[in-house]
Amino acid sequence: MLSRLSFSGYFALLMLVLTLLFIFGVTMLPSYDPYGQNLAAGLLPPGGSSFDGRYYLLGTDQLGRDMLSRLALAGQVSFAIGAGAVMVSLVIGVTLGLIAGYFRGPVEMVIMGLADLQLSIPRILLLIVMAAILGPSPWMLAVILGITSWVAYGRVARGMALSLREREFVLAARAQGSTATWNIRKHLLPNVLPQMMIVGSYEFGQIVVMEASLSYLGLGVQPPLPSWGMMVSEGQTYLELAPYLAVLPSIALFVLVASLQFLSQAFTSENDSVDLPERIKG
Amino acid sequence: MLYFITKRILQSILTVFGVVTVAFFLVRLSGDPSLLLLSADATQEDIAAIRDAMGLNRPIWVQYLEFIGNALQGDFGNSIRQNSPAMSLVLERVPATLELALTSFAVGIGLALILGTIMRITRKVWLREAIMWIALARQAFPVFSFGLLMILVFSVGLGWLPSLGRGSWQHLVLPALTLGSYELALYLRLFNASLATEQRQDYVRTAYAKGQGRLQVIFQHMLPNALLPIVTVAGINLGLLLGGAVVTETVFSWPGVGRLIVQSVSQRDFPVIIAGVFLLSLIFVVINLIVDLLYSVLDPRVRF
Repeated sequence: MLSRLSFSGYFALLMLVLTLLFIFGVTMLPSYDPYGQNLAAGLLPPGGSSFDGRYYLLGTDQLGRDMLSRLALAGQVSFAIGAGAVMVSLVIGVTLGLIAGYFRGPVEMVIMGLADLQLSIPRILLLIVMAAILGPSPWMLAVILGITSWVAYGRVARGMALSLREREFVLAARAQGSTATWNIRKHLLPNVLPQMMIVGSYEFGQIVVMEASLSYLGLGVQPPLPSWGMMVSEGQTYLELAPYLAVLPSIALFVLVASLQFLSQAFTSENDSVDLPERIKG
Repeated sequence: MLYFITKRILQSILTVFGVVTVAFFLVRLSGDPSLLLLSADATQEDIAAIRDAMGLNRPIWVQYLEFIGNALQGDFGNSIRQNSPAMSLVLERVPATLELALTSFAVGIGLALILGTIMRITRKVWLREAIMWIALARQAFPVFSFGLLMILVFSVGLGWLPSLGRGSWQHLVLPALTLGSYELALYLRLFNASLATEQRQDYVRTAYAKGQGRLQVIFQHMLPNALLPIVTVAGINLGLLLGGAVVTETVFSWPGVGRLIVQSVSQRDFPVIIAGVFLLSLIFVVINLIVDLLYSVLDPRVRF
């Protein structure tokens, strides 16, 4: 899959690796401290030094916390929630999609009807209601983001299962008396997984944006844990005084989402058989 | 055709019904609504009295049926924080949201039309590439951070436009640009593809053959036909604009339904949340229905 990537695909991959290096690398710096407040150094611009002589590469926020450390930790939070949500939605989507495509009939009607139903409501509304009611812990966020985004996987998995179930190797297995569970697990699942990874790379970016939007609205990650969306929202108050507070996390979000977006585009053009849903976002 | 219309209408009703049902059970899952009304030092008797008054002691399905019955009459109960019906609070905000969504819709199509036409007319490859890259880059920005950058440049930096609130047309510019430009990359790609298809049609060759210039052929003959797919997709996306409006309204303090919902969430005012989500979903579903039905009017070749 990686061997035949286009130039922009490689560039996107490079950006993604650099972003990850930043997110996880900063943790190893001796100055890494996302929570420590330094009231002598509030709202320092990038490159500023506080009275007590500490140097802040990306400045400090209103409480004198190191922006560099906070950006990195927020990135880890976004990344972890995104990865968790992709896992959850992938498992739900693949399971439901394969069941629908393998059994057909009323089961398929119910599952795909559910998918249509979910697509006909703006995703962000569903997320707001769920986050408001179930409470926003990072775990819960990953779960509700996952539950609300299974449809993309479900549709592609079902489509592939429809043709796979008629193929000779599945028919042969059935003729030998293998059970439906066995067929789905051993014969259908391995064949749809590569495509699911591609859908996942596309959905990852979407989910990072969703999480950031929820956190911006105050319904996602809660303080003291930082998140890029929340940092933008906090920075909005100091837009005139310290614009970098909102700009830095925006840039971080942009780089991560853009690299994921271009990477999934590069994968898709390599695999024309995958029919990526053009409009499955909220 | 009649079968299709009936099926779509039934599907739409089912969707709205599903939204209300999910919202009802989620709210009940979240805990006892009576506790929201009581102070922390309420006695057991107080709790029992208010549970009785609110009808919370009856079986859950009786409560559900009553909730649905009231909802059908537009009654979602009273706001917990403000002593007025939840639905009327939401309805007050609808004009602002529709204003924002419809303007963004027009801005999106307008931008796509202008930039798409430039991409078609120009012979400079770098200009074409640049427009597409800008559109793609725009898409990688979440609505809220793009909105904030717009405020930073046009309100804080240049001081041209107000950053908060609703009132004059100047207030509308930044939110509408923020929300309307989100789908630009998608529209441009669609527009390019459909212009390329139209270019191969016989009527284009005929127009060139009778001596019309390149610009005239593009503007007079190709554009109207090429616009159709964009209008359709944009129509479907009009509903998604409603979703995006929730975030945009918060960024620009725009007094619409979305901002009301977000504010009500922080106040745990569930009747208002449910009424707001219900109304937005209703608008969303109705728009999708109209777009689906209009499809055959816009393009007579479509048959159901």
